[in-house]
Amino acid sequence: MKKIRLQNVLLFLCIIFIRGISRSASLTPEDSLIGVAPADETYYKGWSSSGTINCKDGFKKFNKSQLNDDFCDCLDGSDEPGTSACPNGKFYCKNAGHVPLFIYSSRVNDGICDCCDGSDEYDGTIKCPNTCWEAGKVARGKLKKKIAMYEEGVTIRKGDVERAKLSIAKEEAELSKLKDEEKILDGLVRQLKEHKEQIEKAEEKERLQKVQEEKEAEAKVEESKAEVNDEDIEQMKSDINVKIDILSPPPQDALEDHYESVSKPEVSDHTGIEGFPSHGVEQMKEDLLQNAKQKEAESMVDGKADLETRNQEEDVLEDTESLSREELGRLVASRWTGEKTEQQTEEIDASKDDTHPNPDEIPNDTHDEEYNGYDSEDDEERYDDDESEDQVDDFAEEEHNDFSDKPESDDESDLSDMTSTGNPSWLEKIQQTVRSMLQAVNLFQTPVNTSEAAHVRKEYDESSAKLSKIQSRISSLEQKLKHDLGQEKEFYSFYGQCFETKQNKYVYKICPFKQATQVEGHSTTRLGSWEKFEDSYKVMQFSNGDKCWNGPDRSLKVKLRCGLTNEISDIDEPSRCEYLVLLSTPALCLEDKLKELRDKLETMNKEQPQGHDEL
Amino acid sequence: MATDVLISDGDLIAKLVPKDKDEVQENLDNQENPIVKPLVLTISAYQDGVLRLKIDEDQSLSPSKKRFEVPDVIVPEFLNKKLWLQKLKTEKSEDGLGILSVIYLSDGYEGVIRHDPFEVFVRESGKNGKKMLSLNSNGLFDFEQLREQKGENEDWEERFRSHTDTRPYGPQSISFDVSFYDADFVYGIPEHATSLALKPTRGPGVEDSEPYRHFNLDVFEYIADSPFGLYGSIPFMISHGKSHGSSGFFWLNAAEMQIDVLGTGWNDEFSSVLMLPSDQKRVDTLWMSEAGVVDAFFFVGPGPKDVVRQYTSVTGTPAMPQLFAIAYHQCRWNYRDEEDVYNVDAKFDEHDIPYDVLWLDIEHTDGKKYFTWDRLLFPNPEEMQKKLAAKGRHMVTIVDPHIKRDESYYIHKEASQKGYYVKDATGKDYDGWCWPGSSSYLDMVNPEIRSWWAEKFSYENYVGSTPSLHIWNDMNEPSVFNGPEVSMPRDALHHDDVEHRELHNAYGYYFHMATSDGLVKRGDGKDRPFVLSRAFFPGSQRYGAIWTGDNSAEWDHLRVSVPMVLTLGLTGISFSGADVGGFFGNPDTELLVRWYQVGAYYPFFRGHAHHDTKRREPWLFGERNTELMREAIRVRYMLLPYFYTLFREANMSGIPVARPLWMEFPDDEQTFSNDEAFMVGNSLLVQGIYTEKAKHVSVYLPGDQSWYDLRTGTAYKGGVTHKLEASEDSVPAFQRAGTILPRKDRFRRSSTQMENDPYTLVIALNSSQAAEGWLYVDDGKSFEFQQGAYIHRHFMYSDGKLTSSNMATAGSGSKKFASECIVERIILLGFYPGPKNALIEPANEKVDIELGPLLLRGGRGSSVITIRKPNVRIADDWTIKIL
Repeated sequence: MKKIRLQNVLLFLCIIFIRGISRSASLTPEDSLIGVAPADETYYKGWSSSGTINCKDGFKKFNKSQLNDDFCDCLDGSDEPGTSACPNGKFYCKNAGHVPLFIYSSRVNDGICDCCDGSDEYDGTIKCPNTCWEAGKVARGKLKKKIAMYEEGVTIRKGDVERAKLSIAKEEAELSKLKDEEKILDGLVRQLKEHKEQIEKAEEKERLQKVQEEKEAEAKVEESKAEVNDEDIEQMKSDINVKIDILSPPPQDALEDHYESVSKPEVSDHTGIEGFPSHGVEQMKEDLLQNAKQKEAESMVDGKADLETRNQEEDVLEDTESLSREELGRLVASRWTGEKTEQQTEEIDASKDDTHPNPDEIPNDTHDEEYNGYDSEDDEERYDDDESEDQVDDFAEEEHNDFSDKPESDDESDLSDMTSTGNPSWLEKIQQTVRSMLQAVNLFQTPVNTSEAAHVRKEYDESSAKLSKIQSRISSLEQKLKHDLGQEKEFYSFYGQCFETKQNKYVYKICPFKQATQVEGHSTTRLGSWEKFEDSYKVMQFSNGDKCWNGPDRSLKVKLRCGLTNEISDIDEPSRCEYLVLLSTPALCLEDKLKELRDKLETMNKEQPQGHDEL
Repeated sequence: MATDVLISDGDLIAKLVPKDKDEVQENLDNQENPIVKPLVLTISAYQDGVLRLKIDEDQSLSPSKKRFEVPDVIVPEFLNKKLWLQKLKTEKSEDGLGILSVIYLSDGYEGVIRHDPFEVFVRESGKNGKKMLSLNSNGLFDFEQLREQKGENEDWEERFRSHTDTRPYGPQSISFDVSFYDADFVYGIPEHATSLALKPTRGPGVEDSEPYRHFNLDVFEYIADSPFGLYGSIPFMISHGKSHGSSGFFWLNAAEMQIDVLGTGWNDEFSSVLMLPSDQKRVDTLWMSEAGVVDAFFFVGPGPKDVVRQYTSVTGTPAMPQLFAIAYHQCRWNYRDEEDVYNVDAKFDEHDIPYDVLWLDIEHTDGKKYFTWDRLLFPNPEEMQKKLAAKGRHMVTIVDPHIKRDESYYIHKEASQKGYYVKDATGKDYDGWCWPGSSSYLDMVNPEIRSWWAEKFSYENYVGSTPSLHIWNDMNEPSVFNGPEVSMPRDALHHDDVEHRELHNAYGYYFHMATSDGLVKRGDGKDRPFVLSRAFFPGSQRYGAIWTGDNSAEWDHLRVSVPMVLTLGLTGISFSGADVGGFFGNPDTELLVRWYQVGAYYPFFRGHAHHDTKRREPWLFGERNTELMREAIRVRYMLLPYFYTLFREANMSGIPVARPLWMEFPDDEQTFSNDEAFMVGNSLLVQGIYTEKAKHVSVYLPGDQSWYDLRTGTAYKGGVTHKLEASEDSVPAFQRAGTILPRKDRFRRSSTQMENDPYTLVIALNSSQAAEGWLYVDDGKSFEFQQGAYIHRHFMYSDGKLTSSNMATAGSGSKKFASECIVERIILLGFYPGPKNALIEPANEKVDIELGPLLLRGGRGSSVITIRKPNVRIADDWTIKIL
């Protein structure tokens, strides 16, 4: 009994000894709690009645003489916290004045000072000076600076997050509003279109009527050529077949242009209007053939022109199925009655020359514009940012875009003419206009009121242009909101931004959510396209960049860390064609981390050795 | 036929003339090319059963040129072992027709020359003694003598692609056949990526095989099964068979060589003119060289180890490396800059993975000018080395033989001024292309140039070098990017007008030698050098380690690395290894892990990778794989005391560290062609796993004793093929019953910090409850061991007693090595449990015996009988008695 008590006292003294004075070269590990963390001290006091403690893994036990006796009894190292005997062990250095540290037991008495208090080297081979206070001072200074930075960073981040949330809410609201508007506008555009087409049909009928009349006049002369005609038809049939072969998939040249613009509403899906099934090639062939049969040889000489007129006629015929040929002729002709007979001939000539029947009304340009949607110069300027967003994944066109650090701040003003909430709704205005216009225009009035028709066309063009704009805005918003912008949307401001840095001869350009490039003079190498955030938003991964000669596709990782500005601090290529970028950003200044740092500082301050002043 | 056979100056000498009189007559008739002149033959006998045969042109008949004899390969000690032949015994051949002249070779062996037809062989003593190996038994001897060009009509030039070989001396090749009797297989003649037992290259059933080639080349992405010659050449072949054992044949010749292994029945279509005894099983081989002389050595064996001992008595035993050099090396083309170096270094510590050496490939230099630093990337090389050295770690930089032709480069300036470069056929400095661009090559066959080169490694000359920096010689075949076969033209000229064709295969050897000498010189001859070389030649073992060059990250290459390393070991080069992970390409993780597991047992253990590959340091493949690779590396560190002991054994005897199974089990036929498994020393057997997702692995365990799984201690019967479950934790490895393995079970950052750590002895008892083992320890770095500063113990366990006795010969030197190291643990495998105590004598202390783990890491293996804390000093004699 006495003995045990004595041992306890010794043990206690030992603890005091270790805690009070940082290090002693003559310390023997036996019977001491060297290498034991404060949290573990209770464990090492838990001697059973038989004087043993179970190894932490529970598989063996050790007695007092086996604790720190430089022989590994527990595979987990629990009997040797203070020696190198167990390969799986950890040694605790108190490091008063600095931060406590666990080191691998392989570092104990290996002749290298690992703990700043020198406690890991006690076998006398070397003498490790206690550098904790000095090192701690430096470390604390650094830590304080870091904390200060984090504090500021956290504030910035908060602001950013709030702004991001507002912006996103706004954008979401805008999106839903735009979607509503799109729906309405789409309806209007369709109405207008229908209307416009009816007008056009009517106009066409008038025109055809005139043609018909003329032709009838010549009918007798032509009849004699009828037989030849049949052959021509055959010839043409094969011509068309060839042509169609060449043109497929879906023809897009003038043939189709004319075909569409005159006879069918919208085949092209560039405008985004759905619900109009495009005309099958077979159908087209048939139409052509049918028409051809009803036509004179003369007008068949030029395939394209004929095609056009014939289709027009076909449509007309379809519309007026119930009427006899003669009645129809009269009906259509009546529209032109008494007006510009000369122009009729001109039109026919014009159509033979493969030009539009009425260049004023539907110029080629207009059609092109429809093709390119909102690509007019005006729009391009205005939608610059949106454009680039639209093409996030479309690098083929990347070079056209001046994609710089320009932040995407004036998004809202882009569509201000349409979306500004204060003004009476532009949409309502349009709706009203259209309504009144549609009421006003009498479809069956003959001849067509040209000013009204122009009005309809103009309104149609404007509305569909607007619709396009809305649609493109919707898609860009959707693109943006679809992205993973961080748990708190803290990376909102990264969207549309690029970070640049120059290293040696290269300029590195990191565009989050888009791509990363390396520019040397005029040549640009893609280091990767945006893939995702990794490692709980601490890393941005870009992959599938340009292939390396004899190597992998290039890829790039951006490691993010807290900083007050968004700034690239380092670029590295650890493996060939695998790049590593360090980017500091307030987005990574997390409050949890700040708290951690503060706690650490607190511990460090607490751990200052009592007797420091004497040193 | 041989004529004028007589003894002169302790040698047997004779003249060789064409046998056939008609042939002689033909020669006489040929006015343009007068008689084939007689050749001079010399046979000498050396101690320990080495017969040397030289055949050259008769210098008294003034041939147009002195044929090249490779200098500085045979060690001087060997020449001192020459037996002074006194008498010649003459006898009639078996058939009674021929005359044989017989000389004494060694106890039980004789050298014999048959006069007509000419044949030289070694036989067991006595008229009816069995033949062991012979030269020209098949009469294929041919010797193209140097002669004058036959006017202008004869064109000696040869063209290869865009290259022209002027061949100013014309044809000068030599060929002959060598037969190994009672041999089942032949081995050796590296370097080829092939099986250990050499497959026939000609004969029935062999289709389209080329001969084994010896021509040192920088082969891009070599394939894993081909007789094509790689980076080094050692024309030494060793045979082995069940009935006789081993014998060996070595031809010291540095020109291009081609060697055919002739399959049984290769000459069936010819009637045997020479009437060879057909009852003896034999392997015939055909040797051909482009130039040089016959300087051949016959080794009588009779055991495999004897042959290796005999061979290394001629060419030298492997140098004793520093301890750090046999630990783990981390390399990559390239660790880019100092920061990269520090990061990699720190990561090893962070993951508690030991390593000893970090390597810098060519990119560390300023424009591939060796001995310089790219100061942007490595502004403070000395500080960098010192920082690593503070953790006991070393660095290696690369120094290649191509010298950048840059007037501002001091090496080039001096070399060109002094005329130290190899010349082209016209006598100008040869200008080839390598890493730096236009380059010239130092003429290392010249001792003066070697000594000049060696000076370049002094700390003053090699700016930025420190004592912890060692050297890597790459591209020393030599590799010349724009040369024929990516090497130097054969008509390039060396010192003394020696043509490159004559010494090509030795070029890298001389370079390696000069570099190694440089590292010795720089430290005042104190520290052992470490120089890794890719090219090699007989004798390279004296200068450092060899690796198997630019292999690929493929399972096949992992597989072939084992026979390649074993073959190198058989031919003297004990310190060798393959790049772990494979140099070219990206290994998948499983392959990389397996490679670490096998590579940990290579004598030279280095991870390396091409610069187009992904980073592959052990911690980059997830926690589990990090753990597996860490464990593989730790196994190596655990076994370092054993490895170091084996390196010393190799240094003393030439017996390699990694051995084919048949070297340890020469009577076990099942081992003869096994090159999937190998022995590390006499105690460990390692079986590689060479396939992806292997579920099972078959291991043949030779002999009649048990084997103990290194990880679990489980016993397996010997003489049986075991089908084991393949574990991802390790490749199968076993300790042979009857052996004692010294280990160190504590892991440090590097081997340096393990110096004072205690030992564990693992005693695997054989069926008679006995075992023995050895432990060699010295300071791990200096040459003082040569003066006796070492500890060499013999551990013997029998009759329940373990005894440690001194192996060092008393008073073997002036220096002493002291160590306070103790044995902390003794494990007994195959021991019947029961005893609780052991008694240490002479201290008369009792210690505990308990059940403990076999390994301190990697989970809970079975418990084994452990003597706890005997704490006996390894330097002392002691006995531990089990009570």
